[in-house]
Amino acid sequence: MSFSNPAAFLWALLAVPVVIFYILKVRMRRMPVSTVMFWEQVFDEKQPRSMWQKLRHIVSLLLQLLFLCLLVAAVTDPFFDSDIREQRRVVVVLDTSASMQAPSENGGTRFAAAKVQIGRMIRGLKIRDEMALIVAGGRPQVVCGLTSHQRTLQVRLEEITPADGPTRVAAAVEIGRRLLPDQMNEEIVVVSDGCFTGAAALAAEDQIMWSQIGASSANVGITRFQVRRSLLDPITYQILIEVGNFGDESLDCSLDLKLNGELLDVIPLALSAGETRAEVREETSVRGGVISAEVQWEDDLAADNTALAILPERLRIPVTLVTDGNWFLQRVLEANDIVELTLATDVPQNLPPGGVLVLHRKVPEQIPAGNVFVVQPTAATEFWDLAGSIAQPLVDKQDKSSDLMRHIRLDNILMPEALKLIPKIDSKTLVESISGDPLYLQIPHDNGNILVLSVNLDQGDLPLRTAFPIMLTNALSWFAGGKGELIESLATGDTRSLLMPSKLQKVAAQHNNQLSLTAPDESQQHIRVVDGHCMIGPLGQTGIWKLTEVRNADTPDTPDVDLPVAPGASLQIACNLTDPLESDLRITEDIKPRQKFLNAGFGGRPIWFYLVIAAILLTMIEWLLFQRRWVS
Amino acid sequence: MPLFDNDFLTRLEYLSIVSRKVFRGQLMAKRRTKQMGGGIEFADHRQYTPGDDFRYLDWNLYARHDELLLKRFQEEEDLHVYLLLDCSRSMSTGEPPKFDLARQVTAALAYIALADLDRISVYAFANGVLNHFPLTRGKARILSLMQFLESLTADGAATNMTQLAEEFVIRAPRRGLALVLSDLYDPGGYRNGLDVLRHHKYEPHVVQFHHAAEANPKMLGDVELQDVETGDFRKITVTESHLRNYRDVFQTFLTSVTEYCSAYGIGCTITDTEVTFDKLVLGMMRAAGTN
Repeated sequence: MSFSNPAAFLWALLAVPVVIFYILKVRMRRMPVSTVMFWEQVFDEKQPRSMWQKLRHIVSLLLQLLFLCLLVAAVTDPFFDSDIREQRRVVVVLDTSASMQAPSENGGTRFAAAKVQIGRMIRGLKIRDEMALIVAGGRPQVVCGLTSHQRTLQVRLEEITPADGPTRVAAAVEIGRRLLPDQMNEEIVVVSDGCFTGAAALAAEDQIMWSQIGASSANVGITRFQVRRSLLDPITYQILIEVGNFGDESLDCSLDLKLNGELLDVIPLALSAGETRAEVREETSVRGGVISAEVQWEDDLAADNTALAILPERLRIPVTLVTDGNWFLQRVLEANDIVELTLATDVPQNLPPGGVLVLHRKVPEQIPAGNVFVVQPTAATEFWDLAGSIAQPLVDKQDKSSDLMRHIRLDNILMPEALKLIPKIDSKTLVESISGDPLYLQIPHDNGNILVLSVNLDQGDLPLRTAFPIMLTNALSWFAGGKGELIESLATGDTRSLLMPSKLQKVAAQHNNQLSLTAPDESQQHIRVVDGHCMIGPLGQTGIWKLTEVRNADTPDTPDVDLPVAPGASLQIACNLTDPLESDLRITEDIKPRQKFLNAGFGGRPIWFYLVIAAILLTMIEWLLFQRRWVS
Repeated sequence: MPLFDNDFLTRLEYLSIVSRKVFRGQLMAKRRTKQMGGGIEFADHRQYTPGDDFRYLDWNLYARHDELLLKRFQEEEDLHVYLLLDCSRSMSTGEPPKFDLARQVTAALAYIALADLDRISVYAFANGVLNHFPLTRGKARILSLMQFLESLTADGAATNMTQLAEEFVIRAPRRGLALVLSDLYDPGGYRNGLDVLRHHKYEPHVVQFHHAAEANPKMLGDVELQDVETGDFRKITVTESHLRNYRDVFQTFLTSVTEYCSAYGIGCTITDTEVTFDKLVLGMMRAAGTN
């Protein structure tokens, strides 16, 4: 046996004054009474045992000395050498994925049951054992490093909250392995429901102790949900829905689709056991907002019964078409529901705010500031020169990375004639002919951009192909700054780099290139904007997240709006579970825990603890025997 | 503070008036002796036996029933009231001491008796008769009696009721009411003394005094008890349990006093020192009136 604090033995010198006080006899209080005959009756009824009477004082001294010895021994903190040899290092990996929010067999959630089990493990640690806590949510994280302080572990455990994200147990176990140096008595305990790929294999590993939580249950969940604007019709949008039945029985249920809380459609679903059904629906609306899908079925996991998506609002664009007449161009623009078309034969001096000027076969000497789409220019400008025409131009290259060329293929379109453009300033060629001449050109301009299409629309197939309205729609959307396009719904646990709207970029620039990301539970964190992009994720909660400017104490409050890009510059991001592995609450029977965590129980306490308990018991005995005067 | 001050005398006079107006001497004054004799108040008839005085034959009854019956009359005589005051050291305990209340009660009873033209005598006793105020009569003697009481001290030896009674019956010239004012803490027992008084045809009346600390002691832990009468010491360790037992024993003692007096028709008053003498005496009168 060893002592952590041997100097504390000096406290044993307190025995000297204890003995001195014992030797010094205290004179008893003398009390005159009228008669002692009544007291004699009281005491003669119960005569004290003579042996005890003789020993009671020495027993009192011995009890006090024993009490002192116990306290001194406790202060020295004794420990056995075996405590050092048998010291355990335990890493507990807690699964905080969405499936852990399903009910457990004992009532409450699987997550609550897991916390109870881990709490029991913490209490079962021996005094020199160390434990670390790792959460295996969307982002594996060490919430408490190796420590033997049980209260710290309990506090950290209580702080852990369940997430709506996927399981990353394998990654968390890997972190746990790094935490454990290569020594004896190391254990990694995984507390999970096993609802992830590779759970059985992980449970079979040597170093892993598997603690199974929960029992199998049926569930219906939305596994995919995205909304996007139609490529052809600017006010139509498409909804991709995938719903899975993760149970062993067929069922009939329905799916409610809502836009900003208003019911759009009710889709009846008949799903056989294990079936997953995907469907694309089309709806029409200029309005934007939050599209929600709700499965009307009572099951054990609520997080996957609702999915959300952000539908961008279509803002109407004032377009001025200057032409002597082109039937195709005019009809395409008139057919676009987001266009407010104005026809003109002369080039206006100024454009309306956010407006687009379309010049067909007309080029002024000075191109007005703003966004200008030039089709078949007839004269050279400060931005380009004309060098005749190109006969039968064949498309050689397309800039597929540009949003302007999204969903467009021009290489199979017959174009009999095009103008030969020679850019005067740095520009970006979107479509290039085989001769190297630009057919579709992007040129930066004052407060806007210029797009130049050199193809002759009066000849060839281009106005007759679907690529033509798509090209114009892309151009108008691009001029509008990307407004009204797809804002992808993220899955919990996903990480995405999102391009921020220009207003939000400007706001971020005023706050050290940072934006505030607000979770559905109103908790906030700061996100850095790099090159106009934000790295979002992994998000731990389902619901609507908001990117707004960083609010300091001196920042005036501006009301949030539900638009994707609000005047106050904010961006909404929908986040859904949409993970078939998490929605599947059936537990594989292949998981066979091979070891069991050994609780030290009450015997795991340090020696000083028992010494203090003994001292307290001794104090109670001394109090009962002497202070209470149970013996006389 | 004097034992008998002006306030005491005022309350004494009030007590005397109340005694006469309300209770009509039910405690002692105007009590009739049990002796039959030459009084004027008819009491009973009895058969004539030869040798009886013819003057007391009831001739009217003889004329009607032809039977010789003798009329008996209750003899009226002065009541002798003996006040036996305990002066043992145990009477000096308590705050205020039991002895002070006992002396005030003695003075009050004596005053009432003197006001009713009875004869009173006071015997101070401990292990026997220590002092004696001779038999006297008339209210004017009250001041002398008070002086006598004030001269007494509670420093006698241990109480011995038997010895007191035996000495008293020899000294007392006539039978009468014997009021024993004591705490009755007699190691030999108080009953023998009262039995002797009863056997000598005295009418005992017991007034037992005790104070709160005797009935309900509070001390705990190691104490050395000193008996103020015997001077004996006893080292004990008092627990709550002991205190409970003591209270039971003391209550049993008081109950035994009451039961003894009730069994032999003896008047009994048990009091602590918290009450004033006038309330105590009024209470005694009420009790006597209801019996």
